[in-house]
Amino acid sequence: MDRWIKFLLAIAAGLALGLIYGWLISPVEYIDTTPETLRADYRSDYVLMVAEVYHREGDLDLAARRLALLGSQPPVQIAAAALDYGLSAGYAPLDIALLQELATDLQTWEPTGGGRQP
Amino acid sequence: MSADEKKSQRGPWYLLFGLAIGLGLGLLISWGIAPVTYTDTAPVSLQTQFKDQYRLMIARAYQANGDVGRAQSRLALLGDPDPGAALLAQADRLLAAGDPDQAAAALLALAEALGEPVVYPTAVATSTPTAAATAPPGGRPTPTRRPTSTPTAVFSPTPRPTPTPTPTLGAYFTVIVQEEVCNPALTPGLLQIEVQDASRQPIAGMEIIVTWPGGQERLFTGLKPELGNGYADFRMAPGVPYAVRLLPDSVPAASDLRAPTCIADGSSFTGGLRLLLRQP
Repeated sequence: MDRWIKFLLAIAAGLALGLIYGWLISPVEYIDTTPETLRADYRSDYVLMVAEVYHREGDLDLAARRLALLGSQPPVQIAAAALDYGLSAGYAPLDIALLQELATDLQTWEPTGGGRQP
Repeated sequence: MSADEKKSQRGPWYLLFGLAIGLGLGLLISWGIAPVTYTDTAPVSLQTQFKDQYRLMIARAYQANGDVGRAQSRLALLGDPDPGAALLAQADRLLAAGDPDQAAAALLALAEALGEPVVYPTAVATSTPTAAATAPPGGRPTPTRRPTSTPTAVFSPTPRPTPTPTPTLGAYFTVIVQEEVCNPALTPGLLQIEVQDASRQPIAGMEIIVTWPGGQERLFTGLKPELGNGYADFRMAPGVPYAVRLLPDSVPAASDLRAPTCIADGSSFTGGLRLLLRQP
């Protein structure tokens, strides 16, 4: 019985070592990620870029297609999330206005299909 | 030999065996079943094609806001060793592929703003834009998992955007000069456009839409730097009315532009027009 306890303790020790190595020392790293996985501040800055270009071009279809790079959520949700982040992170008023413009216009946007690449 | 003696002869191997089993289970869990997930990645870890799209968006945003500092901060997120060279390389790739969306001009304009020596190819200036038919990128590739000891991308600092885009966004351009050009040495029907900001400085990289009944063409200023950074031109057909609009303006700055008929030395020929557009 004593040997069994030691055997199980050895397994537990090995398990702990394996987890420490796999989670802390050498965790799985994702390279070649997609924009969907970007951190909130990067996502918001990307949306801000789209908003800046949208303000200049006025092409809502194209803006929505550019936002689709960030995931399968509806573009209006992506823009609204960026606006929320911008407000909480203290973006400049002009940037907030641009995000607000994009988010507001996307609320009534209907996809038309086709079009140019981002 | 008694049972106790046999056990003592086995030694501690069973402990090592248990340790190995545990280690294997641990790695299986930490690498396979429940690996560390990266949901908060940085642009530096993006796949190349997405980096290209991100970089292009930076260049387009620069065209919109004119803020080089902000563009530089954003480019730094991509981790390119030489951001200017990366912009040029991407523009080269686009031009080699025909540049159907005329994106190269945006990349080149930003590269130039970063101090890169840019030579604008004439193909960019004179090519007729196509009607945009490329489909968006297809299915998203699965991230590649790779064990490594340096997950630095997750913890890299985020440069905060600089606060001020250009203050004149949205101000309409107005026609300062519109005059006929009767010079038989010039291309017949040449529409010469110069774009200046409020301080009378030429603006490179401005997107101009020339429309006429049944068609339109997109031009960019600065593609013929020998004629000025704010210069762009277009060849008009005789008798056709044209309108010129500068993005982001929603209304044309000039309309009903027609190639004039000029007379010199007793013979007539098709002349051109010169437009000077300025932001108020």
